[in-house]
Amino acid sequence: MSRVDTEPLAASSAARPRRLPRIDRRFLPVLGASVVLVLMLLIGQLRYSTPHRGFISLRLFSNLVADNSYLLVLAVGMTFVILTGGIDLSVGAVVALVGLVIAVLLTAGVPLPVVLLIALLVGAVCGTLIGIMVHYFDVQPFIASLAVMFLARGLCNIISVQSLSITDPGFGRLASWGIKLGTGSDVFRINASLIIAVIVIVAGFLILHYTRVGRTVYALGSGDDGLAAGLMGLPVGFTRVGVYVLSGVCAGIAGIMFALYTKSGFNLTGIGMELDAIAPVAIGGTLLIGGSGFVLGSVVGVFVYGLLQVIIAREGLDSWWTKVLIGVFLLIFVLLQRVVSARRSKG
Amino acid sequence: MIEAVPKDAPPLVAMHDITVTFPGVKALSGVDFRLFPGEVHALMGENGAGKSTLIKALTGVHHLTRGSITLDGKPIQFRSTAEAQAAGIATVYQEVNLCANLSIAENVMLGHEVHRGPFVHWRATQARAAEYLQRLHLAVDPRAQLGSLTIASQQLCAIARALVLDAKVLILDEPTSSLDQQEVAELFDVIREIRDSGVAILFVSHFLNQVYEISDRMTVLRNGQLVGERMTADLPRRELISMMLGRSGEALAAIEGEARTRTEEDRETPLFLSARDVGRRGSVQPFSLDIRRSEVLGLAGLLGSGRTEVARLLCGADRADSGEVDVDGQKVTLADPLTALKHKIVYSTEDRKRDGIVGDLSIRENIALALQARRGVLRPLSRTELDAIVEKFMVALDVHPNNPDMLIRNLSGGNQQKVLLARWLATDPTLLILDEPTRGIDIGTKAEIQRLVTQLADDGRCVVFISSELEEVMRVANRVAVMCDRAKIGELENGPSVGVDAVLEEIGRASEVKTDAA
Amino acid sequence: MPHDAQSQSREVVDRQNILVRATSHHMFWPIVALVVLLVLCQVMSPGFLAVTFTDGHFFGQLVDILRTAATPALLGLGMALVIATGGVDLSVGAVMAISLSLSLTFLRGSSSPDSVGTVAVAVLLGLVVALVIGAFNGFLVVGLKIQPFIATMILMVAGRGIAMLVTKAQITTVTSPPFKWLGSGFVLGIPTPVIIALVVFVALTVLTRWTAFGMLLESVGINAEASRLAGVPSRTLVWSTYIICGLLAGLAGIVYGAPTMAADANNIGLMKEMDAIMCVVLGGTRMSGGKFYLSGTLVGAVILTTIERAVIVFHLPSQTAPLFKAIVVIAVVVAQSSRFRDWAQERRLRRQAGSDSIPAEKVIV
Repeated sequence: MSRVDTEPLAASSAARPRRLPRIDRRFLPVLGASVVLVLMLLIGQLRYSTPHRGFISLRLFSNLVADNSYLLVLAVGMTFVILTGGIDLSVGAVVALVGLVIAVLLTAGVPLPVVLLIALLVGAVCGTLIGIMVHYFDVQPFIASLAVMFLARGLCNIISVQSLSITDPGFGRLASWGIKLGTGSDVFRINASLIIAVIVIVAGFLILHYTRVGRTVYALGSGDDGLAAGLMGLPVGFTRVGVYVLSGVCAGIAGIMFALYTKSGFNLTGIGMELDAIAPVAIGGTLLIGGSGFVLGSVVGVFVYGLLQVIIAREGLDSWWTKVLIGVFLLIFVLLQRVVSARRSKG
Repeated sequence: MIEAVPKDAPPLVAMHDITVTFPGVKALSGVDFRLFPGEVHALMGENGAGKSTLIKALTGVHHLTRGSITLDGKPIQFRSTAEAQAAGIATVYQEVNLCANLSIAENVMLGHEVHRGPFVHWRATQARAAEYLQRLHLAVDPRAQLGSLTIASQQLCAIARALVLDAKVLILDEPTSSLDQQEVAELFDVIREIRDSGVAILFVSHFLNQVYEISDRMTVLRNGQLVGERMTADLPRRELISMMLGRSGEALAAIEGEARTRTEEDRETPLFLSARDVGRRGSVQPFSLDIRRSEVLGLAGLLGSGRTEVARLLCGADRADSGEVDVDGQKVTLADPLTALKHKIVYSTEDRKRDGIVGDLSIRENIALALQARRGVLRPLSRTELDAIVEKFMVALDVHPNNPDMLIRNLSGGNQQKVLLARWLATDPTLLILDEPTRGIDIGTKAEIQRLVTQLADDGRCVVFISSELEEVMRVANRVAVMCDRAKIGELENGPSVGVDAVLEEIGRASEVKTDAA
Repeated sequence: MPHDAQSQSREVVDRQNILVRATSHHMFWPIVALVVLLVLCQVMSPGFLAVTFTDGHFFGQLVDILRTAATPALLGLGMALVIATGGVDLSVGAVMAISLSLSLTFLRGSSSPDSVGTVAVAVLLGLVVALVIGAFNGFLVVGLKIQPFIATMILMVAGRGIAMLVTKAQITTVTSPPFKWLGSGFVLGIPTPVIIALVVFVALTVLTRWTAFGMLLESVGINAEASRLAGVPSRTLVWSTYIICGLLAGLAGIVYGAPTMAADANNIGLMKEMDAIMCVVLGGTRMSGGKFYLSGTLVGAVILTTIERAVIVFHLPSQTAPLFKAIVVIAVVVAQSSRFRDWAQERRLRRQAGSDSIPAEKVIV
């Protein structure tokens, strides 16, 4: 005797009756961010298009990606951390540290592949430190990552207070390697950073949605501090430390990308960069309390962020307006998040 | 000390001389326990008897100070729940410990997903999940979020997860606390099917009727020690209760039969609060209630029937959408707890850990809290005044240890409850709404609190008494309002001829009406 | 057991109890850290701890440390109240910049920047704006129920932009002795910022410990719902902590910028919110909220400033200060963490245990 006689896929009496299928609600924040992105593009198109050249062009996207590829990578790592209900404030400092390490090691003649590997290792070590403090010593992620941020900055300052330029020819080739597709405003540049960013995004997506560890990330953010996940036999410790390691490695990768971009290592790099990473993640629909959000949402968030800066530049406003407007955007998105999650909890 | 006749088949799980010690405390001492395949074995005992500890010792959460466990004849010593699960011991907890933000398929299958290469093959995994859900007669879309299901269905998902683990032993810890009668019946059908397929089931519940209905064998613990193991059919209820309670059962028996009856004079006591059609969307349907001085009004009903929601509306914790409330003849709007406090209405919550005690504050500060809040931020209680109040109530309620500087979270549950009662009593309230005041408390303190309730009514105050233990409600209440499915369905006068069954009948009748209408 | 052995073992237990109580006191590790730092500095640079009275005021490294510590102290005192409610205020650095920029811009635009009256108005202006920002933060957190971290981050990001707009991205400079006195003057020989910080400390202590404000605040931080049900006006209390924090951040900005009389809106207050949080945490207040310690926060501020000074004394580049701050914070936070305390307690009890003299109490499981 079946408990419910209706077809399995329709709203059964076991689920409270809903007008919309359940799956929609989880995607609402990301859809919202995407709508905003489209709106911004349309506004730009209407305002800044000239008879010769529309605002929306391949070149626009090419520049957006090129300028923000390091942010895309940071946002992926940060998404994992925030999904577990944590936060990583050290990423900016790690980016700076990695840049300096690269500069020093290349100048010392260490082969490029080894240097890149060490760069990733530096990020991983920083992440591991945070993860251990959070998981084994019950230190709040805010404080733990803050401490590691100071640690990394301190190490940066010890290495050098002056900008170190990177003159290694192999590195230079990597930095200038690129494929240009098309001409004029239909140009799209592919460089190493873009490829790396795409790989990271795809990898992040696959790990989050198609592996057990990825689903454990969500389980950790369900609000009970990993209790249910532990009782379900999921790898709580590994995952909780792992997300910080992942964020650290992403910071390492971003550090490499930033070094490719600036061809130097500088200890004042990346101050405030962690917030540049957190804001897009929040805008992209990931709830800061954890448990809900998507990597692709953060990608949309980064594009919103980048597009905002483009529009501000086009308007001829001081770049300081970026900060103000980002603040306003964040406020709007967070309010929208609250509305969505309030409805979810009431239902 | 096993007096029951053993079955022919050897036990699946044999625990021998189990002793578990925490720093300074012996939680279990020399306990033997056996689980046979194809059997439902109930573990009985009051709160604090050691049931949870025994289960945690079996599943690897607690380390054994002494004793041994064998599974299928082989000695085992699990170091984590993961190891226990891998060996085929699955536990379904009272609070459905699954992740509401994940899908049903994920909750059921995570840890045993179907893989394609290094990645999870979701379609296949969801199909397998659907198979297991089907075995439990649960027809839901495995892709839906777990949080969209009712608690009863979520519990079935938790059991489905246990089946996925191919469990040889299934531990059900208070599985029926949130279920209505229909859902309990369906759950028991499922349990019987699982039992008949050869699984050993450990069943923990404080609902004696249910235990007698579903179990084949019982083991009773008291104070961390084994009292005995019996076959259910051979154990009359009275004997079970005396095994569970020991000598303290006498204290309860003394209150038993004291069921308060109302005489003609009682009916004349002044009306304190009158609620007319008070309701809140999504919380409870409009209800009307009269609360008189010198009276204990019981609110009876199953978990989820809306009793707490009624309480919260009466004390301002929630704001009503509709209806009117009169206090002492004047219309009032109970907009927040502070307003209710000023009208001498107080509310003691059902989950003292979650929204009752302020853990890191001292006993003194916890007692002072409501009184201070009512006085306002800028008028602190003087130390002498405060000490006098604290002393008075700590003595009157017999709080142990008698140290007002101690942090409240270091007290036992019973003493915490007493401190909370002191907090409310310190404000000299007229109406006390007590929600599950004896939950998770040892038997001696339970009796004290029940006696206190009747005394409060004798002093001229009003008490609204909410408890899932109907026996308790019938013991102290003059009148009983019955709730079912978020609506008040009736009121009964308490009396010698009225008992638990009358209330259950009322609830049953109401839910029947509902299913007929559906 | 023979009588002597019994009383002896009781003595041992008593002594151990004192030790336990001392080491788990919230001020223990921070004070130890501070003393160690000061001693190391004295060893490295003899005369470090020397204080003299010349030119009508106190003089010495310690005096400088105290003067510099006034800024993080003011920030930390406000932050402690916010953290006690379970929140955080990341905008304090930006508020410092805004208040200072406004005050200096007003002074520069006024006709008599030297007069005490104008300075008073300028300071008041800066403080009022800081108060308004604090109220806004409170509104976001209490009214709109946004998570404090995000709510104050919005102002942290936007606020700096606002400060830049006020100063039009120029570094504002102006000359005004009365204003400068706020940062580099003396009262009875003691640097003005120290006096200001002490006055604020005393005022807050009176507010929190002489009224019910402190206890009710802690109650809200530990269990907000239980407090609400007990009639505690949580919303008003939490809102007021953000207002106080904002106000003190404005004051800190003015005190900080007064000596140099320059407002570099881009850099002033950068990372100061992190320093403030560190002061609070070092003082024993947990980020999760609840019990808070104003005196501990002051000690935390002195520790942070001493680290910065110690770095110079040890002839290390001043930019290495963050590294040592990090080490101290990690050490203190780990030592304070419950896991560490449980581990230490368990070791102690395991040494005591093994005897049957421990009574088997009933445990409510």
